[in-house]
Formats: sequence, C-alpha cells, structure tokens
Amino acid sequence: MSVLVFRTTLPRFEYLRPKSLGEALELKAKYGGDAMILAGGTDLLVDIRMRAKKPKYVIDIKGVKELSELKYVEGRGLEIGSAVTLSEIERSKVVKEKFHVLWDAVRQLADFPLRTRATLAGNIANASPASDSAPALLVLGAEVELSSTRGTRKLPIKKFFKWVKQTYMEPDEMITRIFVPEPPRDSKGMYLKFTRISVEDLSVVGIAGLAANPKEPEKRIVRLAYASVAPTPVLVEEVEEIFKHDKPVKELIREAVEAVKKKTSPITDVRGTAEYRRHLIEFGTAYLLNRLLEVIE
Amino acid sequence: MSPYKYVGKPIPRADVDKVFGDAIFSFDVTLPGMLYAKLVGATQAHAKIKHIDYSKALQVPGVVAVFTGAEFPQKIGIYAADRDVLAREKVLYYGHPIAAVVAESLEAAENAAELIEVEYEPLPAVFDVKDALKPDAPILHERLAEYKHASFIYPEPGTNIATRVKLRKGDVEEGFAKADVIVEDTYREPLVSQAYLENWVGVARVKSDGTVEIWSSHQSPFAVRELLAASLGLPIGKVIVYHLYTGGGFGGKAGILLEHIPVLLSMKLGGRPVRLELNREENFHYMAQRAGYIFEMKTAATKDGKLIAHQGRYLLDAGAYADYTVNVARSVTFMAFGPYEIPNIHIDTCAVYTNKVPTTAFRGFGLMELFFASEQQIDQLAEKLGMDPVEFRLKNALIPGKSITPTQRRLREDAGAPADTIRRTAELIGWDKPLEKPKEPWKRRGRGIAAFWKGPVQPSSAAASAVVKLNEDGSVDLLVGTGEMGQGTVSALRQIVAEELGIEPEKVRVSPIRSTNLVPYTWQTVGSRGLYSDGQALMRALEDLKSQIRKVAAQIFKVFEDEIEIKDGKAYVKGKPWDSVTLAEIALGYMFPDGETIHGPLIGRGSHVPVQTTFLDPETGAGEPKPFITFGAGAVEVEVDLLNMQVKVIRAATVYDTPVINPGLAYGQVYGGLVMGMGLALTEQLVFDDHGRLLNPNLTDYKVFRAGDIPKEIKAEFLGVGQRNAPYGAKGIGELTMLAWPAAIINAIYDAIGVRVKETPATPDKLLKEIREQKPELLEEVRKQLLG
Repeated sequence: MSVLVFRTTLPRFEYLRPKSLGEALELKAKYGGDAMILAGGTDLLVDIRMRAKKPKYVIDIKGVKELSELKYVEGRGLEIGSAVTLSEIERSKVVKEKFHVLWDAVRQLADFPLRTRATLAGNIANASPASDSAPALLVLGAEVELSSTRGTRKLPIKKFFKWVKQTYMEPDEMITRIFVPEPPRDSKGMYLKFTRISVEDLSVVGIAGLAANPKEPEKRIVRLAYASVAPTPVLVEEVEEIFKHDKPVKELIREAVEAVKKKTSPITDVRGTAEYRRHLIEFGTAYLLNRLLEVIE
Repeated sequence: MSPYKYVGKPIPRADVDKVFGDAIFSFDVTLPGMLYAKLVGATQAHAKIKHIDYSKALQVPGVVAVFTGAEFPQKIGIYAADRDVLAREKVLYYGHPIAAVVAESLEAAENAAELIEVEYEPLPAVFDVKDALKPDAPILHERLAEYKHASFIYPEPGTNIATRVKLRKGDVEEGFAKADVIVEDTYREPLVSQAYLENWVGVARVKSDGTVEIWSSHQSPFAVRELLAASLGLPIGKVIVYHLYTGGGFGGKAGILLEHIPVLLSMKLGGRPVRLELNREENFHYMAQRAGYIFEMKTAATKDGKLIAHQGRYLLDAGAYADYTVNVARSVTFMAFGPYEIPNIHIDTCAVYTNKVPTTAFRGFGLMELFFASEQQIDQLAEKLGMDPVEFRLKNALIPGKSITPTQRRLREDAGAPADTIRRTAELIGWDKPLEKPKEPWKRRGRGIAAFWKGPVQPSSAAASAVVKLNEDGSVDLLVGTGEMGQGTVSALRQIVAEELGIEPEKVRVSPIRSTNLVPYTWQTVGSRGLYSDGQALMRALEDLKSQIRKVAAQIFKVFEDEIEIKDGKAYVKGKPWDSVTLAEIALGYMFPDGETIHGPLIGRGSHVPVQTTFLDPETGAGEPKPFITFGAGAVEVEVDLLNMQVKVIRAATVYDTPVINPGLAYGQVYGGLVMGMGLALTEQLVFDDHGRLLNPNLTDYKVFRAGDIPKEIKAEFLGVGQRNAPYGAKGIGELTMLAWPAAIINAIYDAIGVRVKETPATPDKLLKEIREQKPELLEEVRKQLLG
C-alpha cells in the first residue's frame, strides 16, 4: 500500500456463540481456518483491528460450560478448560501452592483488568514468543488437549509451538483443555519477568524455573524455559541433564548458563537490544538458579 | 495551617462528575447528519507527490468526498505558521496526512482510505538534527521565506532553521579566562510524546449564517478561536469554540490542533457536521509531539565555588513542523542556565526541521530538558571543585531583589525563595544521612538533586478575565475561559470565590462546558499561568461584586459603603453581624417593604493583563519575559539493580516556594509530575527506524509509568512565599512538579554507581552499555557473586 491507514473500526466478521463443545467443534469443522476462537479476546481483537488476523467467523467459547472448569485431581494434576480466565487461575489456592511457577507467571501477565478476561489457552494459542505462561507450562511438562470433530489428541507443550504466532494446531482444531501433571515432590518454582515498567508490560525476557531436591544430585530435577529470546517460547532441555551431575553448584550453574546461551537467539527490537537480552539471559538465569537451588534467598 | 476558611485547604475537586460518568468529553459529541473524516498518511518520509488516485475510494458506498492538500492552500499555526492542512506537493514525514476521506460512517471512510493510491518521487530525507544543519542537507521548507510568523521568530530561509535565538550577557570569553574549572559536555534527549489519556477528537459544522462551531479536545478555547479565524480568514465573531472536559494535554493540546480539518471539510460539504476522531496510532502520527534536544554546554566556575560563565549551543529537533517549538526554543534560551546567577552567558539556540513527526509544546516548555543537561553540568562542576552539590547550588542560587537574571533584569524583591527550596529539599531527602545498603549485593543506592525555575512563556499582552454572577439562592456561577484538562484550576478558582464571599465551595459552580461566545476571554491555559492569571482577573471580579454588595447593603442599613462587612454569605454593618442581609436576599437587587427595588442583579467582572513584561532584545535577549517565576527543587534516592539494569526511585522530596490554594490538588500535581518525570528519565522515547518510520506509536511500546511505579515515599512542601500581586500569593506549579526529575535521577545514578548517562531515557539497555564503557568492573563483581 502507498498509504498508511490506522484503523479504528473492526472488519466485518460473523460472531458465533455456541452453547456446547459439540456445537463449537462443528463450527470449527465447518469453517476451518476462516474461523477463530475467541476466549478472552485480549489478543485476538487487537490483532483483528490491526488486520494481522482476518477471520470470517469468530467463535466465542465463553458460553461453553465444559470449557470453563479448573480442576485438580491429587496425583494426576491440573486440568484447565480453555475458557478459564487467568484471574481464576491466579485466585486458585492449589495452583499457588502446588504449581507455583504457573501462578507466578500468571500473576505477572498483563494487568489485573486484563487477567479477568484473558485465558491461559488464549495465551498459548496466540503463540507469541513473549507468552509468559508458556515457559511455566514448559517446565511443568504440560500437555495441550486439541479437539475437533475427528477426535481429541494431546500434544506436549514443547511440541506445540511452530514459529512466531504459529502452532501445530490443525485448522479444524481448538484447544479444549490444558493438562498440567503433578510437579515433582517438594519442587520449587519461580517465574522471573524482566519488564520496562513494574507492571503491565510484555516480557523483555521471561524465565521460568523449576527445581526439586536441590541438594541430592541423582534425585535433582532442574528445568528452565524462556520467553522473548527465540521465535517461540523455549525449554532448554540440556539443563535437566546438567544438574544430574555431582559437581559444585556454581560450576553447574555456569554450565547451565552456557547451555541456555546456545539454545537462545535474542533479537533487537523496540523493547530491548539483543545485547541487553543476552545479559538478562546470563545474569537472570544465574540469579534464578541461585534462588531455586537455595544458594541465595 | 491555613489562616483561611477555604483557601489553603484540601477541598475535593469540582469535577467529581468524571467519577460518576456524568462528564461529557468531545468524544461524546455527535450531531444529526454528521459525517466521519479519516486521514490517510504517507508511506515516505520525504517525497514529491506525483499523483494521488482516489477514484476507487469514491466508489465505496457511503463515501461522500475525498480531499487532498491541493484544495487547501491555508497555512496553520501560532508562532511559525508552517503547517499545511494536508501535505501539499511534498510529504515531509512518514505518516504525514496526505488525504482526507469523508463518509457517512467511520467504517466506510476507513475502507475507502485503504483504496487510495499515491505515486511518490522519493527525496533524500534528513532525520538527524546535525545533518539537517549541513550546507548540503535536503531542505524541508523551500518556501520558508513566505510563511507568516510571529515577530519574535527568526526563520532562516534556504536552510532548515525554523528559528534562531540568541542570549548574550556579560563577556563569556572574559569569564572563561577567570575560570578555575570548566566542564564541557553534550546531552541528548529524544522526541517524546505528551501521552495524554484522551486522543484528539473534533466535531465541526458551519451554520447557514456562516457561523463555524467546533467541539474539540484542546487546552485553550480562545487560542483555538483566534488561530482558526486567522488561519482560515474568518471573522472572530463567526467562530464558536466549545470547551468540554479535556482528557489531559501536557502542552500537546496548546494552541490550535487539528480543528481546521473538520471545519474546512464541513465548509466544503455545505456545512454538514464533520467529525474527526483519532485513534492512538493516529494520535502519535498526526498530533504534534515533543521536540528532541541536543545541548552542547561549556560551563565554568571559580575555585571559591562561583559560577562565572556559560556557553551553550542548543539544538531542537523540531520535526516536520516547528509551529510551537520555535517558542520553546526561546524558553530554553532565556531560562538558561537555571535558577543561578551567572555573570557571563552566551547561548545560540536553533530549532531545526527534520523529516519526523511535527513537534509542539510539552509540560515545562523545554525547561525540564534544559535542566537535565544543566543540572548535570552543576554536579560535574561541584565534583571537580570537591564541593557538595547542594552547597554549590546554594552558593549560586539567585537572590530576589539582588541578582541579575539571564535576560539582564534584576529579580523582583518578591520573586520567591530559590535557596530555601534547595536547602529544604536536601533536608527532606536526608542529604547528609548515610545511605541504606540493600541486602542484595548487586543493588546500589544513590541520591541526586536538581533545582529549577519557571514562569509562563507568553506574550506581554496575555490577558485574562472573569465574571461572577450571584444567583437568587446565594449561589454563584463563575464564568472563566480557562481550560480544564485534569489540572484542577477551576476547583482552585471556586475555592477563592468561596473564601472571598464566605460561602461553601459547593455553592460555586463553574460550568464544565464553556464556549467562547459565553465565557470571558483568557489567552491560553498553558505555562502554569491559569490560576495566576485567571485568578487575578477573578480577584478583581470579586472585588467588583463585593463593591456592589456593599452599595446595596449600605442603602439598606443607611450607612456608608465602607462600613459594610461581607462575611459568611452575609452583609452587615461592621460590628453588628446580628442584623444582616444574606447574599440570596440581594442577588437580584433589594426590595424594600414598600416594593421599591434597587440595583438589580449583582454581577462582578474583572480583567487582568501582565504587568512589566516586555519584548526581548533580538540580539541579546534583554528584557522581562516573565510575570512570575516559581522556584523549587527535587531530590531522589534511587536504587540501581545491576542484575537487570533497572533504576527504581525509592523516595523523592520536592519543595516549591509558592503558597497553594488547594494542597490536595497541589500534591496531585506533585505525584503526577514525578511519575511523568520518571518516565521521561527512564523509559519514554519515540523510536524511529532508518526510514523515519515510528516504531512505537502505541502505549504497548511507548512506555509510560503506571500506578505501581509510584515511589513509596514522596515528601512535598510549599514554603508559602507568595508574590504580592498573585491570588493569595499563589504562583503556578502545574509544570514545575516535573522539572527536576530527569536531572535528579541521572545525578542519583551517578552517585550510586559512578556512571553518568548523558542521554534520556536511561533504559536498562542504555545503562548496560554505559556501564560496559564507563565501569565494566561493576558487572564483573555481580558475575562473580552469581556464577562464582
């Protein structure tokens, strides 16, 4: 285009509000990639106004009861419906106590009014490299339940993201639930979010960490995952292996930092320079590991 | 404690209707038969317009017309008058409005806008202010010589210089010859946005008798009226500007904004109402932002700690249109180098055109930007002299009645208390106390201070007026022309009425809707002048009203007028309060028992014009530019986190010399000014790519601080040193509350880690870069702590 037009109005689309999951899946089967799911709409509507997404049909799932449940089953873990809001997750006692890294990421995501609307599934489906919940779900080994009229399948979250704003979902599929398995016993979790202002900002770099049994090498579990350092949220799988070794902690931290550096490829954008992001990757990872491994408070 | 009943008390604001959703903004205005306008921006930073094809746009159902710059030869503006209605012949920046589509709905207008095709012939563009000054630089305004401009603006046709300002005091060479220490440095500040809450919107129509009416989001209704009339060649009497609540201005809505566009479109379309509303991205591109700055400074002192000479070359990056920025260039020159006496000053300032978004006023009118540079010079000089920065400032602070200002006038006796504000600010921040040591070894604390001064930059004729009408129930309607954009001036004016008449503030009403045909004139609501100027007009109006009350009461009580006392909403003979008439009883005059009535309705009117301000000498700047100056200082304690390079303001202290009418409103200004100043120091900047494209035209990436960023501890004091002619002695503070912060914060960062950041904003990535260059050992220490 040879002119610049900043749109205020939304393009025309058909707004559909199914009452049941079956109805929602039928609609998705019928319209495929022309239809997009609206849960909270906090990403989708912005993208539609900017013409980054151009759905002909918008399927609002807020009225679907089956998708609005947040359940915890001892020994099996969490089951979070795709219409569950981030506020509901933030308010859940069991999430805060047992899935602390997820709670920590969610409470730092956007701001209070937005969290009353935005959903966890939406934050994943949007597939932003800056997703705050994705690193937490990655270290927790979550699975995404994808449904269509053809059936249901579960995809490990680490196999869910394809590229910036792209996933491995099929056009007729939608996220119905996110399963988060019971974390290792006595594990600690933390989400470290670096932002430009104290609240309501996209992550310049986000780091999720999970650690269990920090003092016993053979039983030690340490996982790290990142936001805003690569085209997709990334789990650095090498870290878990490194921490199985019986070496001085500081040496392991150094090795982990090196592994993370290899697995990340930060860029310069309006939110921060690649140089600054590399610094955060190094110092942030080191700080987080020191905290999780109880080297420092 | 305030000796008054209402003045000096934190009475709730007059505009609580905002809280209840009753308030009406320009955005709420729709008129029958209204059309919607959409602006179309250019995709080149500098190019000839070869052809605009809007035939497809005209075919979109609902589209009424498309206009291009060729149809509007008018030049718009206040001081430089360099603005085109829509780009004519050339586009001057990426996003420059090149066409306007008018349609029955916004949706149709937007759909049509996307179908417009423009053929450009690209021209070399210039984005850097220094490049724009080179002899072979591409010229933005070839016809600069033809532009009308204010008499005190000096454009240089054939160059990109929109104005040049000179200040000469003493002999700067002689000063440097006597110097013991000299600091020479350069400071930079980027273009930023006023980032007010309410995007601009305007609805205009032309009535069948030719009267132009406009409802728009602006600071100063009378300035809009004057400039609209002047730019479009309309008689003032045929223009009515409606002022509703304005959702923030911060200088960005001073003068005339885009009012001429819906007005001209309505004129072209038989007077049908036309609405132009901007969304956030458009507001960043189509409304003027704040200039960028380069300050090159050379400042000298003698070893006894006296400032002796200052030489400056100041450059303002004015963007494509410098309309208001040319006057900001005067402000930064005539207030240099801060509230200190320097015998020898030599400054050359230029506002320079570049191919970026246009610029205009911004809260503080250039002085916060100036002090960012000059207050670092002060700290650097103090360090070289081995002197405490507070002591050094106190040694050089201006002394009312004695010191000679940069514009060669003796500072008036009742000008204020510069030194006291610095001294008290230092006490409040605990300047001499040891700093707390954070428990994390990578966090460092430091303190910084900055002093400031400011008064309005206005013509010597900037007038104000007020009318007070007494109603039958003893309530009062106050008519003023000042704008309300959240600053609260009308609340303070209401309090003055209440105090003077002895009635509750709730009984004083200021209509939130004011129009230029119904309220008395005031020049502009800018430069922290509202309360001072409109307040003086109001004091005279109240004096007028009271003399009428005395006249009526004197006839009732059969005494001389000077024997009447007015108190608690009543008038009575002095010493006999038990025998009184209420204001309600005499509002429409007084009826004696036999039916005879005297005087008729009571209505007071008052006018104000500044005294003793003058034009300034074009070669030296000599003259008196200010009707008042408020003095103050601000200090912060910051914590620098070497892990993430973030700077947190832990506590802030600030002191102003002036008394205030409403401490609640004043503290509100203090908090707002601090958060805004912090943002400019640490995060806010407009980011352009190599093609001049704005990369962050939204609040997702133009980062303003939010409530969560407000420091936990803020101490503010007002010393109550009034100026004789000011209402209750009160001078302006609106802009003043942000002037100290970028300088104080940067000075505090230096105190904390020994790294000086000479460019705002001190973002984490910039701080990282500076630490790596200036003090890499700091990072090594942290690396050792974390990685062993």
